[in-house]
Amino acid sequence: MTTYRFSTGETIKHVVLILGALVVLLPFYLMVSTSLKAPQEIETNRGGFLGQQEMMVDGDCVRQGNAEEDCRQRPVVYNYTQAFEKAPLLRYLLNGVIVTVSIFIIQVVVALPCAYALAKLRFRGRSLVFGAVIVCLLIPVHAIALPLYIGLAKAGLTNSYAALIIPWTISAFGIFLMRQFFMTVPDDLIDAARMDGMSEFAIVWRVMLPAAVPALLAFAIFSVVAHWNDYFWPRIVITSSQELFTPPLGLREFKGEMADHAYGPMMATATIIVTPLIVAFLLAQRRFIEGITLSGMK
Amino acid sequence: MARLHLKDIRKSFGETRVLTGVSLDIADGEFVSLVGPSGCGKSTLLRIIAGLETQDSGRFEIDEQRVDGVRAADRNLSMVFQSYALYPHLSVGENIAVPLNMRQLNALQRLPVIGPFLPGARGRRRAIHAQVARAAEMLDITHLLGRKPGQLSGGQRQRVAVGRALVREPAAFLLDEPLSNLDAKLRVHMRAEIAQLHRWLGATFIYVTHDQVEAMTMSDRIAVMLDGELLQVGAPSEVYERPADIRVAEFIGSPKINILPAATAADGSIACLGTETRMAVRGAEVRASQLGVRPEGLHLSREPADFTGEILHLENLGPELYVQLRLQGCDAPATLRADAALLPQLAVGQSVHLSFRRDRALAFDNDGKAVETRLLDRTPQTTPASGIKPEQGIAPDLGEERRAAHV
Repeated sequence: MTTYRFSTGETIKHVVLILGALVVLLPFYLMVSTSLKAPQEIETNRGGFLGQQEMMVDGDCVRQGNAEEDCRQRPVVYNYTQAFEKAPLLRYLLNGVIVTVSIFIIQVVVALPCAYALAKLRFRGRSLVFGAVIVCLLIPVHAIALPLYIGLAKAGLTNSYAALIIPWTISAFGIFLMRQFFMTVPDDLIDAARMDGMSEFAIVWRVMLPAAVPALLAFAIFSVVAHWNDYFWPRIVITSSQELFTPPLGLREFKGEMADHAYGPMMATATIIVTPLIVAFLLAQRRFIEGITLSGMK
Repeated sequence: MARLHLKDIRKSFGETRVLTGVSLDIADGEFVSLVGPSGCGKSTLLRIIAGLETQDSGRFEIDEQRVDGVRAADRNLSMVFQSYALYPHLSVGENIAVPLNMRQLNALQRLPVIGPFLPGARGRRRAIHAQVARAAEMLDITHLLGRKPGQLSGGQRQRVAVGRALVREPAAFLLDEPLSNLDAKLRVHMRAEIAQLHRWLGATFIYVTHDQVEAMTMSDRIAVMLDGELLQVGAPSEVYERPADIRVAEFIGSPKINILPAATAADGSIACLGTETRMAVRGAEVRASQLGVRPEGLHLSREPADFTGEILHLENLGPELYVQLRLQGCDAPATLRADAALLPQLAVGQSVHLSFRRDRALAFDNDGKAVETRLLDRTPQTTPASGIKPEQGIAPDLGEERRAAHV
């Protein structure tokens, strides 16, 4: 049997890491726990992680004239059905998918040829253009939000999918990340493709894209997470049409309409919103880390 | 099948002049090696031929047709790269099919998913499949067709790269150091295979290498390049035995040729390290200042002969022996190739007498250009003492293979 010796250094490391993990995980713990409990348990902070799961009466249901017998539910069932019934959560999720997938696809369509040109083609002003890409990395979104909004408003595009998608289609980060990855692709491979009769665009899609899958996966996670969770931008450009709400905007429904008692359904909604991301990350974890370390080839 | 004609090709990268006016004619079906140390411009020349790089000036013709400005894909040349450059995401079969797909299918038929169902695509794809199968059979890689390049060994990848090059029957093959990533044993084997392939196909081959053994063994002609110019183009034996320039003499041949200081008297006779060589230059104005003697042209001798030297180091390669010497009157060490059977008689630090073969010695002038010489008399050379026969001193004509194994 292996024996472990006590080491102060290791212990300190682990204490720090455990504290860090707690800071990160506690909000998730609270979110999931709240989504499982009855309103009384949430207010009084009782019931542990899962709550007692005693039958509770749905107030709205009774007010609508139903018999009290028919309105008794377990808190967990109540919270999660409320999440879908009180607001069109499925619609929000669908919007989220439409927006994030469109953004990602267009970002790739733009970033791959740009990155290829910056990494592998020799042309006048290449380093200047690359410098411009780096500068763009430094500009915070919030700094240009107002001009962007005014531009979209003048074009009559607010309250549309276009408003949610267009500002994000050119990703300086995507161009930078893919350019760094393409630098590691051997020049011989590109020359071989040219000898085989491929045009430069064919090289991008038929040679570079398949070689860059790990890096693209890493970029996909950055991009999808950022835009799936984005509250700021949809809040600005989607002012009236509820059917365009993305999942984070949907969370507001519970806050606004039922200020007092809706924590359970609200946290149920939040749990539902983050689940797809966590599942996707777990599935792609290994390749994601491969992509970040930029070691796809060889 | 093609004749290639290069005329005064020049190329600079910024301030660096890489090619300074290269002219070369390559006959149909010829195997020409471009050989030179790294950085001599041979790869750039090949890339200009391929169309991957554009020359600053000069013209390049394939079969009397000027192709400057024609893009690489339309020159009908194929290339094998040092790193093989196989598409990592495609199987071996798909890799070999790529050049055919790009030429025989149109853009729609190449589309993934729907492409194969378009009219005409089926028949063409079947034809391509048959061509791939034929190429694979020729190279004995049929069993590998389903694998990805990552699952292949270096030698197998090499074959696949050759397969991809030959499947579309190009006008000429360009090979850019294709063997330098292989281990020594496999290199010897693949050398023979490529030479055999050239005989089968009868196509024009241009082979770039820094390994003079590869160039010597495979080519019809060798083009020795240095500092962006062609120093000499000729058959391997000619380049080896009658190098036009001292740099060619030094580059071709392993171990390196011994260059000894020499002086030319007024009557044209050449003296080397204080010994009359009984050789003379042809022509009145010509002065030889250096004498090149290949390691197999130097012999050990029991009695005082042309030179004396001290043994610095002995290298036993099995069939033969390299003796490193310091010749009296010469700072640079000299190398001698001898029969390994002499090893027991030799020791480091020992002083030995040496003679050299006049008919194989090469004279060069101050600029390093070869100088024609004649022998002044035909008196027999000093007979070596018993035990060391001249033949033993002369390296037996070993196959290049065996030499290469030790390179």
